[in-house]
Amino acid sequence: MSSEHHEEEEFHADKREQIAEQVEPFFEGGPIWKRPFFGVFIIWVVMTVIGVLIGLFVPVHVLDGSSSSQQDSVKLTIIVFTIVAAPVSGIVYGIAAYSLFKWNKRGSGKLDTPPEDGPALRGHGPATVIWLSVSIVLVVFLLFWGMMVLSSEGTPEGNAIRMQVVGQQWVWTFHYGSTDITSTQLVLPINRQVEFEVSSKDVTHGFWPVQLGVQVDANPGFTTTIAASPNKLGKFDVRCSQLCGLEHAYMQTTGRVVTEKQFVHWLAQKGASKQAIMNFTTDAK
Amino acid sequence: MTSTEVYLENTVLGPKAGGLYRHQNFATGLISGVVLGFVGWVIGQELLQGSNWGSDMTVTVTCVGWVLGFLLGMGAFNAVGRWILGRDEDHEDQLYGAGVGQGWTRYFKFCTDHKVVGIQYLVLVMTLFGAGGAMAMMIRTQLLSPHMNWLSPQSYNALVSIHGMVMIIATIIMVSGPFANFIMPIMIGAKDMAFPRLNALSFWTVVAAVPPILGSFFVGGVDSGWTTYAPLSVQSFPGQDMFAITICTFVVSVTVAGINTLVTVITMRAKGMTMGRLPIFVWGSIIAGGLGLYAMPAFLMAQSALITDRVVGTSMYAPAQGGAGWLYENCFWIMGHPEVYVILLPAAGALIEIASTFSRKPVFSYKAMVGAMLGIAGLAIMVWAHHMFTTGWAPTLANPFMLTTELISIPTGVLFLCMVGTIWRGNIWARLPMYFLYLFLWNFIIGGVTGIYLSDVPADQYFHGNMFVTAHFHFTLLGGAMIGAAGAVCYWFPKVSGRMLNERVGKWAFWLIAIGIQVTYYGQFLEGFEGMPRRVVNYNPLFQPANVMSTMGAYTLMAGWLILLYAIIHSWRNGVVAGPNPWHAKSLEWQTETPVPLENFLVDPVVTRDPYGYGEEAPDATQLTPEPVGAANVLLGNEEGVL
Repeated sequence: MSSEHHEEEEFHADKREQIAEQVEPFFEGGPIWKRPFFGVFIIWVVMTVIGVLIGLFVPVHVLDGSSSSQQDSVKLTIIVFTIVAAPVSGIVYGIAAYSLFKWNKRGSGKLDTPPEDGPALRGHGPATVIWLSVSIVLVVFLLFWGMMVLSSEGTPEGNAIRMQVVGQQWVWTFHYGSTDITSTQLVLPINRQVEFEVSSKDVTHGFWPVQLGVQVDANPGFTTTIAASPNKLGKFDVRCSQLCGLEHAYMQTTGRVVTEKQFVHWLAQKGASKQAIMNFTTDAK
Repeated sequence: MTSTEVYLENTVLGPKAGGLYRHQNFATGLISGVVLGFVGWVIGQELLQGSNWGSDMTVTVTCVGWVLGFLLGMGAFNAVGRWILGRDEDHEDQLYGAGVGQGWTRYFKFCTDHKVVGIQYLVLVMTLFGAGGAMAMMIRTQLLSPHMNWLSPQSYNALVSIHGMVMIIATIIMVSGPFANFIMPIMIGAKDMAFPRLNALSFWTVVAAVPPILGSFFVGGVDSGWTTYAPLSVQSFPGQDMFAITICTFVVSVTVAGINTLVTVITMRAKGMTMGRLPIFVWGSIIAGGLGLYAMPAFLMAQSALITDRVVGTSMYAPAQGGAGWLYENCFWIMGHPEVYVILLPAAGALIEIASTFSRKPVFSYKAMVGAMLGIAGLAIMVWAHHMFTTGWAPTLANPFMLTTELISIPTGVLFLCMVGTIWRGNIWARLPMYFLYLFLWNFIIGGVTGIYLSDVPADQYFHGNMFVTAHFHFTLLGGAMIGAAGAVCYWFPKVSGRMLNERVGKWAFWLIAIGIQVTYYGQFLEGFEGMPRRVVNYNPLFQPANVMSTMGAYTLMAGWLILLYAIIHSWRNGVVAGPNPWHAKSLEWQTETPVPLENFLVDPVVTRDPYGYGEEAPDATQLTPEPVGAANVLLGNEEGVL
């Protein structure tokens, strides 16, 4: 048993030596620009830099505005995730591209018979372990990032105003809490957390105030809630994100973020009593 | 005339072999399906409550009549019927059933030969891609300008929904249909699948499932997307019933095929083909098959309950009567997420075979790769609720589902490691399948990274339900899995057709497809960033540049696929004859002759090692033993075994 075992090990050791003779070392030997390590490294650096640049510039320029702290954190998340993903993608591209440049015999695509067999590498323990460890670390990072952002968004603030959003085919209606005001316009005060209580009269809709960076479905028969903290004055879009039938595409409206003063004024204009407005805007619950 | 055909032509069966099945083919199936469909229509219309044409009851009963009638007319239940009547099929009947002596007509029959079934699947898949692709072109054309009114909202919604479902059906069967049927049994040294009749059943059931979903256009279409969320789908047009019947029928097919694959690999392997020597493609197929067995029944339940809600007024999904739309959404995604891995794993398996063959190297870390596939399958069943982050369902589960979803990137990363590790230091032979492997690596990284944004709950609150999601899953399913399938087609084409694929034309197709994918879906990523919702018929002019870009890319992409189709059809008829092993590969399917004879091997193979022994001094994967075997030889009276 033990001698057999021993023979087998010797056999494997021989094989390893054979393979080692066939392949050039990864880090050493020859001038630096001829070592595989260097080639992969160069491609990796280039791809990583491209990825990081995309992460830094693309989301900022194409993400549709931002009117809330939630949307700010969406933007930040995209940027951070892209930058973190860049080196990981870069290494895959680096290995694949270097292999193609270095070990592809030019014109091999026209050959009718294959080139010689490559070295019989059946795996590489350390490489697998490093790969696994790095991906585990990254996943843990992603998870913690997500949980952190999520928990910071999820905490309700004391002075949040609560309003009701009702979806029906194909229009959004907004009830301004205790003021008894109902409107198809969504007007919000700046720097106040607002809690939307969302429901539907018919089918499932998706309540998506785009630039506020939050989203929740409007379900018939249940109320779902989502909180946003508008932090920039101006207009934003409200769209339906869940296919809801014939005119789903047109189920949209614009909202406005205004100052607290303008907000009170607007409510008064709509006919809310002073007392109701007071209760609505100052009272937490 | 190929040698298989010689063999099939020369074998003389008795005039009564096959019995009733002698007279059954696709035409009788169609006639019988239409007749029983009509009977169903009459029953629905006259006897049951259906008062007006097109009511849910009538439509449902008609479709059920069609499906049963078609399968009956094809002869799907002959053998069972004869067994019940005590007149079981004899050997001659079974040979007739496997297509002996029928020439090309066997492709239009309920044929039990796994290679015939494989080719039937291949043609069906390409037909479905053609139909789904045409719908995609219509959708993209409508989106060229923000206020285009070429399509009405109703037809647009119908196109979006049916494009989605037809493509999902096509992608689920695109590798496990043609190649897990044609190639996989040969790879493990089996003579056929474990259940040849179930194999034929699984194919013809998909054929039966296709007309209802395409026919639904004529009764109002489906306006609830491929996800058909309740309660919208409960209120939708009668086309929804046809959609649901299609799903129920299709699930039967996938389940039957999954069981067949699993049992074949477990019980039918050649001598010496241990589980540790299985080619990776076989692992991909059985893991996908098993995952399909877990996933698809949930869809069957979801859609059956949808039918009963619509037809007989149960209230599974009606909140006012105690039902819940969330029930549907959960059932749907319990199918929906594992299903993407049912699509991906066989394609990834095929790509690993390609990587090894065209790098002339053994696969990198066989065990890690199998482990990664098992890990993906295991995690895949625990991630479904990431599709429901924004529904409001169970907010406390956001973190656990974020965890499982992000964990899945670990085994996926190992899969990437094994692919690039296999290529590393290989003497790369840059034939067409290798091109597709590289395209897969490029695309799937992008699909994967964009998936990370979506797995993150806060970011998903922006991207959910917008074009970003559309671009992401097209990048993974089209840019990843379908490119893998295209690679598989190019790789196994010489074995399936007996001829070489025209790679000059194929490379034109490749570059158009590669560029088309990037342009189309980068455009859609932009739309998503800018905040364009999915499934909208008109849109804000702000999004127009990105949409034009995406549409142009889509046209390029379609041109690429059509050229590839041309290359396939042209080479199938006129290509250079390939010989048994044009790639000098080591797995079993290349060791038998081309065209593959009935029952695959003239002598039973004995396997002594795994099929990746490139660069190792050892005999090939197979040692063909001198023992003559073969129904083939005995039947032909051909002692040499040369056909």
